[in-house]
Amino acid sequence: MAARAKGLIVLVALMACGASDATPSRTRDGDPGVTLARANPTWFAPRAQPRPATRIVSLVPALTEMLFAIGAGPQVAAVSSYDDFPPEAKALPRVGALLDPDVERILALRPDLVLTYGSQDALEAQLARAGIRTFSYRHGGLDALFQAMRDLGAVTGRTTEAARKANEIRQQLEAVRARVRGRPRPRVLLVFGREPQTLRQLYVSGGVGFLHEMLDLAGGANVFADIRRESVQPSSETLLTRMPEVILEIHETRMIAGADAVRERAAWRALSAIPAVRDGRIHFLNGDYLTVPGPRIGLATEAFARAIHPEAFR
Amino acid sequence: MTVSPSAVARVEAAPRPIRLRLTLTLLGYGAIALLACLVAPLVGSTPISLSRAFDRSIPFADNVDAQIFFLARMPRVAASALVGGGLAATGVVMQALLRNPLADPFTLGISGGAAVGAMLAIVFATGASLGPLTPVPLASLVGAFVVGVIVYALGTRPRRPMSTAVLLLAGVTLNAFCWAVIMFLQYLVDFAEVYRTVRWLMGDLDIGGFGPVVGVLPLMVVAFALFAALPSSLNLLSVGADIAATRGVDVARTQRLAFVSAALATSAAVALAGPIGFIGIVVPHLVRLMTGVDHRVVLPASALFGAAFLVGCDLVARTILAPVEVPVGIVTAMIGGPFFLWLLVRKA
Amino acid sequence: MFLQLQQISFSYDPGEAGLPSQGFSLRDVSLAVGRGSLAGLLGPNGCGKTTLLKLMAGVLRPQQGTIFFDGRAAAGIPRRELARHIAVVPQETHPAFDYSVLEMVLMGRHPHLGAFRLEGPDDLAIAYDALAATGTAHLARRSYMSLSGGEKQRVIIASALAQQPDVLLLDEPTASLDLAYQLEVAVLLARLNRERGVTIVLATHDLNLAASLCHVLVLVREGRVLAQGATAHVLNGGMIRELYDVDADVRFHERSGHLTVVPIGRAR
Repeated sequence: MAARAKGLIVLVALMACGASDATPSRTRDGDPGVTLARANPTWFAPRAQPRPATRIVSLVPALTEMLFAIGAGPQVAAVSSYDDFPPEAKALPRVGALLDPDVERILALRPDLVLTYGSQDALEAQLARAGIRTFSYRHGGLDALFQAMRDLGAVTGRTTEAARKANEIRQQLEAVRARVRGRPRPRVLLVFGREPQTLRQLYVSGGVGFLHEMLDLAGGANVFADIRRESVQPSSETLLTRMPEVILEIHETRMIAGADAVRERAAWRALSAIPAVRDGRIHFLNGDYLTVPGPRIGLATEAFARAIHPEAFR
Repeated sequence: MTVSPSAVARVEAAPRPIRLRLTLTLLGYGAIALLACLVAPLVGSTPISLSRAFDRSIPFADNVDAQIFFLARMPRVAASALVGGGLAATGVVMQALLRNPLADPFTLGISGGAAVGAMLAIVFATGASLGPLTPVPLASLVGAFVVGVIVYALGTRPRRPMSTAVLLLAGVTLNAFCWAVIMFLQYLVDFAEVYRTVRWLMGDLDIGGFGPVVGVLPLMVVAFALFAALPSSLNLLSVGADIAATRGVDVARTQRLAFVSAALATSAAVALAGPIGFIGIVVPHLVRLMTGVDHRVVLPASALFGAAFLVGCDLVARTILAPVEVPVGIVTAMIGGPFFLWLLVRKA
Repeated sequence: MFLQLQQISFSYDPGEAGLPSQGFSLRDVSLAVGRGSLAGLLGPNGCGKTTLLKLMAGVLRPQQGTIFFDGRAAAGIPRRELARHIAVVPQETHPAFDYSVLEMVLMGRHPHLGAFRLEGPDDLAIAYDALAATGTAHLARRSYMSLSGGEKQRVIIASALAQQPDVLLLDEPTASLDLAYQLEVAVLLARLNRERGVTIVLATHDLNLAASLCHVLVLVREGRVLAQGATAHVLNGGMIRELYDVDADVRFHERSGHLTVVPIGRAR
């Protein structure tokens, strides 16, 4: 089967959101729409927590990365079937993921905290009956990411490390912002899904969510900033009216290089009126770190910035 | 000289001769289809300047209006017309072939095969392409052909009429089997790919250029050439295979032609735009409610009306929530369903 | 002979090399129908009457033997041409779509038109003539499905007449009709035979219909011809016992002017 990447879970969350959410906006400006603390109220209260969790099951790859980043790796007992970063996570037992959590195995591991997606209501109810705390998480913007990191620090008893790591990431982001400061902000189309060799089934970032915020920090003006959704499926006509000057394509599992890159670039040639196509400013970015809203977003944002403003990194 | 009143009544009551009916129908439905195809490219999520689009002094590479008109809208309208006309005509042929008003282009399992093909291309991210056919359409075409050949082999025996019961059961079974394969693949692979295949199943006409249309056009042309020879035989076939044979219809040959043409048109339509539902069943019935059931009228009228119908549905799909789009399969079902029910109620 | 079957064998389940292996529907059947005659096919259920009619119509092909139509081997006559001479009225006709009566009758013109030729005024006149001959002209615009059983049967006969056939094959034309319609169809067939010279072969279970209508009878049992000949010769108590295992009185009925058959009981 195709290689698995944790970013895919995020992507699907984005795609599904874009497809199902017909109302333009779920969130307001400055409120990145996080439902982070929709946690089990009886058991979970981050700050008033008596005892740090020591046997954690994480079903969310982004949270797994955060746990390891704040030094709580040894407290992780099991991870989702999509986890493969950091390498230590690969050695841990796997207990399913968003759609197919293996409740039996989770219970058998006797965890004291399970990190779930916001949509896993049934699982949360089951775990609550078993007396296991849950921590429900949904992907949102960067604020949500920092909030999640703070909360994880609290529940694992690693508040200081969490704060330090958060600062480190903020500094990375700030460094990127400083690099591109004052430079003209080109209009950017951020693509994270497309049918190979065609311009069909395009999934691009709308004006909400961490991808949009990262693009903003990287000195790009999202051409779909006005659409208050995380994902947009634009038609050829919409692409032609938005006129991006730079196209960033994220390919999380597939390395686009050589002949592939030539072929995929050729697919864009049909719409030659688009400035990015005319000027050859189409960039293929590879790697799952680009789409995981975890501790590696500093790197991802820098990758965006390097593609948009190569001259700033010379 | 006396004329008996009943003779007068008979003359008055005489239905229009077929030639006149056919001419009027073709003119009427042709006008609708033409109108749809002319209006649709003028409308979109963004207003464009036609004079600029046709201005030869601006190089095409830099002419946004021209690119929107010629690359974003025209291919879309062409694809909609081709797919809508093909699926509607195929629905007519399938319903007569299987003597079942509930049959549609997807009854034979061909869409299931196409979906498996598309799914495999998406999952394995194959790079195989053929001329203007990119990997996903190519793979869905292959999948459709494989299922078509299997059903054909099951349903035919040498020099005997086809067993419609076998065709129907084989088609339904293969559809179910293909769905099992799809769900198995979806269970194994990643969410993003699952979502892409789900989206593929909703149908999509934004083909971004004439390439894909050109790729499936030969199949459609062959299918319609075969369709043209069928209508009067389909009339008799839908009355009964034996009675058709005694009225001079070569039943086995007609059935094979009907099957092959239907399979070709379905494969082409699905490869181009995904399995857009509802057209193959709603359009023929709408047309029958308006023109009567004679296949010589229903088949061309359905092709034309199907083309207009899908062009219209796609127009709605791309403008109603602009700049965001609604999958066109959702629109066909949401417009077609209630409209059909209304016509049924009105007729009753 | 006009329509002649020579040592026909047929099976729905042909074995190796297309030869009948087992379960013959018809075995070694020879019979002949003269031009202008009105023949009846009699026999118990499943004896092969319908199969015989389908073979005569060219819908089925015999595994052995030859069928001659007007001196030519029927197998060599193209289907469309054969349909210009031989028309069939099946037991029941259920169209999948709601055709009008006129459309149903006009379909009879199919063998005279090509795949791309539409019917013209001549065809329409022939169709109306067929409707008139069957007393269904007033139904022309009605939907076929809305008709009663007797009307449907007459419309299908009209449709067969529109083929302008020399031979009309009917499979139990009166089976689902009430007494009045049975009589009406019988009168219609007799008139077609007499006035238009149409050769008619009809399969029936109605012995009295056969006795009143048919000039000649062919008696079929278990895929073989038991007897054939003039009605007066063939229709008698002994034959009926052999054919159906039924004791019956066969008498000449003064008022109707033909033989009548009154079944008495099952033969021991």
